[in-house]
Amino acid sequence: MAGALFFVSCSDDDTKDAGRVPLGSYDLGVLVLNEGNFNTGNASVSYISDDFSVNQNDIFSIVNDGAALGDVAQSIGFNNDLAYILVNNSQKIEVVNRYSFKKVATITGQVRNPRYIAFANGKGYVTNWGDPYDPNDDYVAIVDLSTQTVTATIPVAEGPEEIVSNNGKLFVSHFGGYHYGNTVSVISNNTVSATIPVGDRPKELQIINGSLWVTCKGNSFYAPSGITAGKFVKINPDTNAVAATLTLADGQVVANLGTSAISGTNIYYSIGTSVFKCATDATVLPTIPAFNAADQGAASIYGLAVNNGRIYISDDAGFTVRGKVYVYAAGNAEFAIGVLLNRTTVGVGPSAFYFNN
Amino acid sequence: MTAKKLFLGVLFLMCQIVLAQKDSIALKEVLVSDYQLKHFSDAQSVRKINDTVIERNQSSLTSLLNYNSVIYFKENGLGMVSSPSFRGTTAQQTAVIWNGININSQLNGQTDFNTITTRDFSEISVKAGGGSIIYGSSAIGGSIHLNNDLSFKKRFKNEIRLNYGSFNTFGGNYKLAAADAKTSVNLSISRNSSDNDYEYLNTKNLRNENGQFYNTSVNLAFGYKLNQANVLKLYSQVFESERHFSGTLVSPSRSKYQDLNTRNLLQWTASNRVLVSTAKVAFLSEKYKYFGDFDSDHFETSKAETFLAKYDLNWKISRKINLNGIIDYTKTKGIGSNIGNETRKIGSAVLLFKHQLLKKLEYDLSIRKEVTNAYQSPVLFGFGTKFTASKHYNVKLNASRNFRIPTFNDLYWQGAGNPNLKPESSYQAEIGQEISFGKFNISATAYYMKIENLLRWIPSGNIWVPENVGKVNSYGVEGLANFHKKLGSHFIGVNATYAYTVSENEMLKKQLAYVPYHKFNTELVYSFKKINFNYQYLFNGQIFTLADESDVLKAYQVSNAGIDCNFGSKNTYKIGFQALNIWNENYQSMPQRPLPGRNYMINLTLKF
Repeated sequence: MAGALFFVSCSDDDTKDAGRVPLGSYDLGVLVLNEGNFNTGNASVSYISDDFSVNQNDIFSIVNDGAALGDVAQSIGFNNDLAYILVNNSQKIEVVNRYSFKKVATITGQVRNPRYIAFANGKGYVTNWGDPYDPNDDYVAIVDLSTQTVTATIPVAEGPEEIVSNNGKLFVSHFGGYHYGNTVSVISNNTVSATIPVGDRPKELQIINGSLWVTCKGNSFYAPSGITAGKFVKINPDTNAVAATLTLADGQVVANLGTSAISGTNIYYSIGTSVFKCATDATVLPTIPAFNAADQGAASIYGLAVNNGRIYISDDAGFTVRGKVYVYAAGNAEFAIGVLLNRTTVGVGPSAFYFNN
Repeated sequence: MTAKKLFLGVLFLMCQIVLAQKDSIALKEVLVSDYQLKHFSDAQSVRKINDTVIERNQSSLTSLLNYNSVIYFKENGLGMVSSPSFRGTTAQQTAVIWNGININSQLNGQTDFNTITTRDFSEISVKAGGGSIIYGSSAIGGSIHLNNDLSFKKRFKNEIRLNYGSFNTFGGNYKLAAADAKTSVNLSISRNSSDNDYEYLNTKNLRNENGQFYNTSVNLAFGYKLNQANVLKLYSQVFESERHFSGTLVSPSRSKYQDLNTRNLLQWTASNRVLVSTAKVAFLSEKYKYFGDFDSDHFETSKAETFLAKYDLNWKISRKINLNGIIDYTKTKGIGSNIGNETRKIGSAVLLFKHQLLKKLEYDLSIRKEVTNAYQSPVLFGFGTKFTASKHYNVKLNASRNFRIPTFNDLYWQGAGNPNLKPESSYQAEIGQEISFGKFNISATAYYMKIENLLRWIPSGNIWVPENVGKVNSYGVEGLANFHKKLGSHFIGVNATYAYTVSENEMLKKQLAYVPYHKFNTELVYSFKKINFNYQYLFNGQIFTLADESDVLKAYQVSNAGIDCNFGSKNTYKIGFQALNIWNENYQSMPQRPLPGRNYMINLTLKF
């Protein structure tokens, strides 16, 4: 597998791992999380090798004697050699070796509609919606990583979504669950120590060069508020002060911000099937997309990630058929941004990418 | 508007009074509750399921029709939400008609077939194909008719039926049928409950957790003859249930769902030799509460209340020509956690014409137009003909345009609903043949159907929204056969249905998900004196669970057997025993939701 790599020299990141010895069948490639249909139990994980020579669907089932991954896989978190797969409607977290995908443990107690996981202070922190219809029972569960059990919970505001750690503190975006959130909670010493107002429906959180970046999608036009502008909010994680805000231009507020990823000094994000690229130190967001994935046949952009000079996007295809992953060049001397490098059919509802490289 | 309503009201009343003054023919002893089903469905396939068959089957409408019709069911576990698919269509494209009134939910457009207790009805009919002109929205794949026909033959009959079986399943039903020449009453009270904690076959001690349910229903049909020309009828039903929604093989559940449905219909029929005039008023209500956690006080709820006024005049122009006009007005108010507070008003006019052209040839023409504030409504029309070549053979031909209107959820769901949706509409045609020789009947029907503006909820950013996106072409063949014979103390009866269904997404050119190509069922009944034996068999072909045909749910075969013995001489005292899924088939009609393995039921029936 470490053989002929399809080389793309990179502008944002350097290829660090090319040529190293793989640590398992699913090393040196990307894990694609396919969330699956609600109540149908067809969540899965696909693997695509960095050289595109191997792609395999349903790797969790294949490795673990045909076991079903579960119902609606929400996210994966890596901690050392382990991958924590949060399976929302199965009310569980599957812990596997991230390279071999062999099952290590299953966490079930005090896990209720889990969303995302982060690691800090030698513990795991899992956001949970509780009963999604109940706005008052949402919490962050603390996982003892030696026993893989939940040992305590921290109540938080409705709809806790992504979670990241920085210097022992945790930051939680409140997308709002079935309603509309607009804050980021700060957790220190296992209690909510601060609440930072951000834009509407904050989701992605990334720590980049010591700053916390929050992607706020904006409310949909069906929301009681009507549609509101999506924005990127840069926060100083030590003071919780907002350092910068990049807001979609008025003319673009006809659709919500899609998925975003920050790599190096650039923000990549989607609106509909268009992909935009913007420097993190820019003062305004671009109005012209870098490329449009519809040109290669994508009907939607559900997941988006950037790694090793490549842009990965996933098309959920309406969840009625298997979705597709499109891999594009992020732009360099050899390939302009938006050059399609690979297209693969994966599982149902591909939503996110996790890189083993 | 008010003046117009008043005028219409006065007009109805005058018709009724004028008719009442004329002398009239004696009303027939049995009054059917669904006039058009009896008089304007000659050119279509209608399968009647009588009370003996209803009695032999389990009490849910799902179970009855799964084993006795061509309809395919998707059941979220035994007793849970059950959606029919008739001729490859969606659950919202099958109409359920209660004593002539469409009772599909105003909120989600379908009837949950596990919220209908079959024992409450004297007859259940399955009509295949289009019926929107008569019955309104949803009658695309076909319609199910729940009828309480009233007899004015003097009698006083009680019936008690009790059954108990595996998983602490209990069923109780009491029926009263009382009548004299002027008054007729049919009352039915039912209660069903189950722990429903069956084991999942081939697993390590996994059970159907959180699947317990109960339901209670009362159904009343009351008829009173004012005189020979006038009769008043009242139909009334209450259905109340609580179901914990069971989990799946891979997802536990803590949810709970409560239903409360009430239906009331008052009608006054006046008739003479030439005219039959019927005025109806109905009030229907539906309400649900959904608890995400059965332990929590937090729930989501919605309700819809429908008021309906209908006037129906049938004019027998000559011995060979029948003209039937219907106008109705429906006002529905929906209120709920997710739909706000919305009111929808629909007025419609229908004209049906039937002509016995030749001794062997009849045809019918029909048209319907709706006027509403909620959506653009197409003109519906239909044509049917029946050629009776001999008493052994006839051919039926039928073509119609039908529709399914957007539901309250589609239009008004907060954060997703789309008020600009169009109704789904279909063009369909079918040809059927019936052969009968004495006690042997066989029929075969081939159909073609084109459905446009299919309403689907599709992802749009972070939410799912309804849109008119799909186009579907369906075609197929249905066969029905039955035979029965009595030989001395022996009786033998056989029923069978088969459906071959192709239902193709026009864009993908693939079979729709959750539509089997093949479904077959048969029942064998054998009686010797007072001992009855029956055996049911169901074959359900493989289905695809994704629209690109990349994932399947395997075919299954399920058999049930029952035996009962009547110990009564004058009255009926019957004890019966049933083994369901006797070959212990491990099967699912929805992915990850196993249905029960072999289980047993004993039942007791007393008629006095």
